[in-house]
Order: sequence, then C-alpha cells, then structure tokens
Amino acid sequence: MGWTLSVSIALYTLGLLHSLFGFCRKRKVFVKVALAMVGGGFIFHSIALVLLGIAREHFPITNLPESLCLFAWFLSLIFLLAHIRYDIKALGAFTLPLVSLLTITAFVIHEENQSIPPDLKNGWVYFHSSIAFLAYAAFFLTFVSGILYLIQEKELKTKNFRFLYFRLPSLQVCDELMRLFLTVGFVAMSLTIISGSISAPDAWGQSWSGDPKVTASLITWGIYLVLLLYRLSARWRSRRAAYISIVGFASVLITFGINWGFHTYL
Amino acid sequence: MVNYVVVGLNHRTAELDFRQMASFDADKLPIGLNQLSASPGILEAMILSTCNRVEILSNVENTVEGIPAIETFLSEFSRIPLDQIQPKLYRHTETRAVHHVFRVASSLDSMILGEPQILGQMKSCYTTAVEAKTVGAYLNILLQAAFRAAKHVRSETSIGEYPVSVSSAAVELVRKIFGDLRKKKVLIVGAGEMGEATIRYLADIGVNGIYVANRSPEAAHNLAQSYEGVPVPFNELIDWIARMDIVFTSTGAAEILVNRRMMQDIMHARKNETIAFIDISVPRNIDPDVGEIDNVFCYDIDDLQAVVEANLQERQKAAAEAEKIVDMEVSTFCSKLKSFEVAPVVTQVQGHIKEICATELQRCLRKIGPQEPRQIQELESMIARIAGKIAHPLVMQLRGGQDSIDKAAYVDMIKQIFKLQKDSD
Repeated sequence: MGWTLSVSIALYTLGLLHSLFGFCRKRKVFVKVALAMVGGGFIFHSIALVLLGIAREHFPITNLPESLCLFAWFLSLIFLLAHIRYDIKALGAFTLPLVSLLTITAFVIHEENQSIPPDLKNGWVYFHSSIAFLAYAAFFLTFVSGILYLIQEKELKTKNFRFLYFRLPSLQVCDELMRLFLTVGFVAMSLTIISGSISAPDAWGQSWSGDPKVTASLITWGIYLVLLLYRLSARWRSRRAAYISIVGFASVLITFGINWGFHTYL
Repeated sequence: MVNYVVVGLNHRTAELDFRQMASFDADKLPIGLNQLSASPGILEAMILSTCNRVEILSNVENTVEGIPAIETFLSEFSRIPLDQIQPKLYRHTETRAVHHVFRVASSLDSMILGEPQILGQMKSCYTTAVEAKTVGAYLNILLQAAFRAAKHVRSETSIGEYPVSVSSAAVELVRKIFGDLRKKKVLIVGAGEMGEATIRYLADIGVNGIYVANRSPEAAHNLAQSYEGVPVPFNELIDWIARMDIVFTSTGAAEILVNRRMMQDIMHARKNETIAFIDISVPRNIDPDVGEIDNVFCYDIDDLQAVVEANLQERQKAAAEAEKIVDMEVSTFCSKLKSFEVAPVVTQVQGHIKEICATELQRCLRKIGPQEPRQIQELESMIARIAGKIAHPLVMQLRGGQDSIDKAAYVDMIKQIFKLQKDSD
C-alpha cells in the first residue's frame, strides 16, 4: 500500500495522541487539533483507497488488508460526522485507537492481490460490501456508546466522582449516541442483506442461502432488531440496551470473521 | 524603559480584618489613584482592591525609589503604620510582576481557585484608573494582555466548569444523568430555606416544570407562586413523584417519604424511566436503598459534599494546565514588550533619516532644474531605498538585537547620535 496511506496513518496516530491527551487533561485545543488531524488523515485515506482501486483495477475489497482499510475509512467517516454533529470529546479517545490499529494492520500485512470474478463485478456487489462496512462501523460506535454508558452509570451509582465521571458524557448523551448509531447501523445492515439477496442469485445460483456468513449476519441483524424494538417499547433504554449492544458487536465480529463458503472476499 | 512593579497583599499574606483595613472603597479609588500617581517616581499606576486582595500595579522610573513610594502610599492611605503593613506585602518586579498580574487575572491566585469574579473586578479597577488618567501605554498593554490570557485560560481549560457550592454541585450531578435539564420536571419537597435556595437555582437555569409539595399547603402554595411553580398536595406525593424526573427533598423532618418497596412500584408505574433524588435533608427523607433499583439515582448531603470535594480536586488539575498557558502568554508578552519599548525610537530614527533624504532631494531637484515625472519618480525611489538601507541595521539592532548589549545604553546612544528628543512617550 502506498505512501498516501502512510501519511494517513501518521495523521490518525497523531490525532489519537492529541485526542487522548485532550481527554485526560481536558484541554480543548488538543481535541480540536485531533479533529483536524483525523480530518486530514481521512482525506489521505480516501486518496489511498482510490489509488489502490485504480492500481489493482478493482474495488479494494478482495483481501484482508484492503477490507480492513475500507472498514477503517468508514469508521473514520462516522467518527468525524458524529464529532462534528455532537462535539463529544470522549468519543475520539475510544474510537481512534481502532482506526489507527486497522490502518496500521492494513499497511503492515501483505496479501496477494486477488481479482474479482467477472460475475461479481457489478454495482450491486460494490454497494453490498461498502454498506456492510458502514453497518459494522456504526455498530462499533453503538458498542462504544454502550460501554461509555455503562461506565458512567457505574460511576454515578457507586458515587465514584473521579476521573471518568468528569470526562465521560452524561447518561442521556451516551444513550442518544447509542440510539443514533444503532439506527444508522441497522438501516445499513438491512440494506446489506437486501442488496445481497438481490445480487446473490445471479452470482451463485440457488444455494447461496446456506452460506455461513449469510446465516451469521441474519443472526446479528436479529439481535439488533430485538435491541431496536426493546428501545422503542420502553421509553428509557437503560443498561440492558447497553449490554445488548455489546452482545450485538460480538456477533458483528463473528460475522466479520466468517469467510468461508461464498463470501471469500470479506 | 519600562519597570513593572506589583506591591500588595492578599488572602495568603494578610488576615481578613487586615485586608479590610487596607482596602479601597470604590468611591475613594480616584482620590487614591491621584495621590499615588503624584508620588515620586510613579509613572503609571492602578489599584486593584477586592475583598481578598489589595494590590498596586505600577510602572515606575526605577524600582529602588518606586517600591518604597508605593509602600508609603499604602500605609498613609489606610492609616496602617508602615512597619505593620510592610511584613504583609509582596513585591514583584519585571517578568515576575507580569506573571503575577496574568495569574491574578486568570484566577489562579484566588482564594477559590478559578472563581470567575476576579476578572470583572480587575476590569472595573482598570476602567477607574483609565478614567483617573493614571494609566499610560505600558500598563495598558500589560492589562490588555492579562485579560487576553485570562480569557484564553477560561476557554481552553476546564477550571471554571466544576461548581464548588453544594446546590450548584447537585445540579451538575443531575446534569451528568440527564444532560439537558430544560425538558425535565422537578419536584421540590419541603418549602423551607433549602427548598427555596434550590428552587431559585432551578428557575435560573430553566427547567420544564417546577412542582412544590409541603406538609402545610400554604407554604407550598406561596413558594410555588413566587417561582411560577405548581403546588401539589402532600398526601398525593407518591403519585407526583412517579411523574417527575428529579426530586429534591429537604423537609427537615425525621421521616422516610419513599422506601425501596414504594420506589419499586413507582418505577413500575413510570415504565422504568430514569429518576434522580437529591436528598439534602438531615436526617434523610429518602431511603438510600432506593438507589439500588435500576435507573434510580439517589444522593444525600454527604454525596454532594463528596462531589464538591472532587470538583475542587479537578479544579486543581485544570489549574496546572492553566499555569502552562499563563507561562506561555507571559513569554509572548515579554518578547512583544521589547519591540513595543523601542517602537517610538524606531519611528524617530526612520523619520529622521527620511527627512534628511527628502531635504537633500529637494535641493538637488532645484539645482538640476525641471525634470520628467518619470525621472523624479526614479530619484525618489532611489533616495527611499538608501534611507531604508541605512535605517535597517539600526532598527534591527533596536528591535531584536543581542541580549548581551545593554539595550537602554544603546537606545540612549542612538538618541544622542541622531539628536532625538529625550523622551517620546
């Protein structure tokens, strides 16, 4: 992977450090600098993906480094949008480590370039895989918001007015973030499944429905559906929703990890 | 050259009674300022007088005469004998004076660290001094820079974010649960003094609804009326609690209003929606066990004290960050000051050389007779270049220069060489 990605890694990592520093010391300027760095990193990241796609003559999703890189890009995108919209200083400290880790991993590991079979080279497949990553990124942030909620709730319940009590957002805000990311993730995942079911019969014939990744994603989708319904029915969503968001994310990781059967391209 | 001096006393060096004796009433400030600026060697001065500090900020001719002059003034004006006031005074000069002024403005030297009033007090004392015409260019730039530094500290650190009074800490605490309080309903149980203090605070920040319950309905009615609240009957308390987001209790009576079993029923009725109790009553009105129920948060007066304590500690941490900002602002200011000090001399030197050139050009033009405009233009620009190139090294030395040379002597020398008037400011 090219120099544009290394620039973007450098910027992400600097952004991460500033964000952590700003979080611990509560210095606003560091959080602002961090946001600018991540913004810059995101631009280079986008260029890197475009260049990669041109060089390999296909959508960059055929092997592990490529897909990690694309996942990191969506994560970074959602983080930036959420940060601009909600201005929550704690979010960077909890999200950027993964962005840095993913891009560095994508940079370090090397895998043979694989070509996409001709019958998978169509817009539906590209849409299907991109929006799947969007869903994963949104679910990761749902998970992060859930964790923040649980920590802050514990601090408040145990009357532990220390470091995290001061630095984490209020329960209300954590809950709102959870709801937002959950909605985005759920819609994206539904679209993934729909677009997959439209394009799959063309590519794989009738037997695609037994694919392990398809099964896993249906389970994941089901978990988030339960969470969504639970939140809609009870007016306050509380700790249980946060627990389910953790379970849901574990299921996301499993879905992400299953790559046999038809889904050899992640 | 500027000589900043700060002479004063504060809560660390003097007792409250002593500070009161030494302080200046607002109406006596102008008289004090005039008397002070008439003292020998005082070029500029301002008096900062608050309940925690009395300080003279001044630009003096030299510190050897200036500091005793200020001490004498403080002693005479407050009628405290000099030998009594002297041990209480601190004296800062040059960079340390600048540093002190910046720290005071940023509330890092305050009794309650980070309290916001000091900046306003400083600004009004400054305005008084400006009106009394005892502030000149140097105190002006110092104070403006101090105000900027204070603003920077406030926007950049969280020093002012942690409330240190019990009632504001209680509100901060429920904010950590509910975020925005403007959509929340609050019930006040107990129309006593504490109840009123709380209701006033809540009315200020603005909540969706204030409800008041009290054992004697008249008191509830009166308190509710004066803050646009709704009085609710005391015997329907449980029903009303079920509809609230936040409940403050301070009946002062030794009775448990809500216990765990009642609370479980309430939570069932309100579909598990989050509720917070702030029980400032001693003994308690709310059974602390209710806090063990999901989505119920319950705090008593001891917990609020703990929040205040934690807030103070957090302010200390923020103050450490603020000190770094102040250090940076001080060094920026000091380097700016260097060029500010020589600015009048620089202008004079440049003007002087330009004047010579212009005179010589006129003389030359008279001798060689009428010329094309283009040629005159050419001559003018040549003369300007010569003037610029002669002035450049002199100005550079004045502005930056090496610290090893004695700047004051150098400035004097330049003035003598060019026969500039003695002082320009």
